[in-house]
Amino acid sequence: MNTILENIQPDEVKPRGRTVRTRWARNVLTFLMVSGPGLIVMEADNDAGAVSTYIQAGAQYGTRLLWLLLLLLPITYFVQEMVVRLGIATGEGHAAMIYKRFGKWWGRFSLLDLQLVNFLTLVTEFAAIDLAFRKMGFAPQIGVPISAAALILLVLTGSYLRWERTVVFLCLMDVAWLWLAFRLRPAVGEIVRGATLPSVPPGGLTAGLVFLVIGIVGTTIAPWQLFFQQSCVADKRLRFSDLKWARLDTLIGACFTIVVAGCMMLAGNASKAHGLSFTDPAQMAVDLGAIAGPAIRTGILLLMINAAVLGTTAISLSSAWAYGEVKGWPHSLQMPIRKAPGFYSIYVACIGAAAAIVLIPRAPLQLIIVSVQVLAGIMLPSAIIFLQLLLNDKELLGERFCNKPWNNRVNWAVIVLLFGLSLVLAAQVVAPNLFPGN
Amino acid sequence: MTVLQPVVEWHEKDPDIFLVVHPLDDVPEQKVDTAHLGPMPMTASVRISLMALRAYLVLMMLLVLYHVVDLAGILSVR
Repeated sequence: MNTILENIQPDEVKPRGRTVRTRWARNVLTFLMVSGPGLIVMEADNDAGAVSTYIQAGAQYGTRLLWLLLLLLPITYFVQEMVVRLGIATGEGHAAMIYKRFGKWWGRFSLLDLQLVNFLTLVTEFAAIDLAFRKMGFAPQIGVPISAAALILLVLTGSYLRWERTVVFLCLMDVAWLWLAFRLRPAVGEIVRGATLPSVPPGGLTAGLVFLVIGIVGTTIAPWQLFFQQSCVADKRLRFSDLKWARLDTLIGACFTIVVAGCMMLAGNASKAHGLSFTDPAQMAVDLGAIAGPAIRTGILLLMINAAVLGTTAISLSSAWAYGEVKGWPHSLQMPIRKAPGFYSIYVACIGAAAAIVLIPRAPLQLIIVSVQVLAGIMLPSAIIFLQLLLNDKELLGERFCNKPWNNRVNWAVIVLLFGLSLVLAAQVVAPNLFPGN
Repeated sequence: MTVLQPVVEWHEKDPDIFLVVHPLDDVPEQKVDTAHLGPMPMTASVRISLMALRAYLVLMMLLVLYHVVDLAGILSVR
């Protein structure tokens, strides 16, 4: 199995840097150089499915589920921080670690699970791109292929930095959600109450609410994130000394993504306030635009495309990295196509196949999106258990990078929470009348 | 784990100057040698965890599949 380091020729590494004259400048510059994977993994998690799920939550329950996002903020940070430690300590991706430490069966099983959920998610990303472009007046034969081609070109330059800078720019475009939320905001008191006072929305614990909560958890903490960030950290060759900056990058990314998710809920809340009913976020954008103005309509549609593009590049890369790690192929964005043909082929195949599927049939988008989020929520406990076992592997990580007792307590709490939600879903499926109807 | 060649701390030569090197431009660090570690020792607790996980995953996949099909209305009686 090749590691990223083995794939790099010594003459490709030429130590060079920038000189600064103060510690403060050194810290800022180091952070800017190290940051990227944390922000990208968090913001890419606000993909098309997330836009749909959060908007649906806002449209159905207003601001009453904002507290759930705040609850998920520390959870998503702690989970991803463990991945950062694992990536920096080993210099290898998550799939490679599972393959090496748990054997071929679990390695291939995890890879298959990841590829399945990732591919279904990619279909929803392109379905969302298709929907948004249609609402903007473009034919589906134009918007989807152009997006797919742009996403492929994004990684084929053989430069990790070029890819990272472009994607970070796209992440920062999500600041526009703050402007949208400001334009569509309800009373500040209502937002504060919804965010700080956990409560069950009026109507009680219905099947629809349970399904939506599991969907929100599934979209906020997704299995591909574990694979993506560890591989990204390894590909960027983060050093032991970069750990604190990578943690800060992840924390900032987590805060930003939760704020943006809250803004999406507020957009959904605005449609609820105007009594709008819709089948997908693109339709909501059009309906809401008729009331709040064309800028709102165009803004939501463009941000929907941006979310799908971000999700697509991150998810496809997590698939390509994982496949390359398990198969032992060269797998780095720093490599030209001729040196890592398998890695780039998987990336292109994921995007090409998902885009092609969207162009052929007309699938019920909302059903697929929510189902994928729930499927991801179901898969997550297993991924977290592997993570927990790996982070307690002193033979692998040594005392410095291993979980501390408080890490384990937090992680076990997360595992219990995730298993609990999964069991609630299972109970609901086995006994459909367990909770009142929608 | 040993570091082959740490980032050069120029300020040791001149305290007023710090050299900041991008990770991609730095000399690669020697990470833990996973190839020689082999599989994780299968203690009873690890084995039980993995068996339970396998059963959980199979059950959940079947339940989710049933739920999605049910939501799509394929199982509904006309």
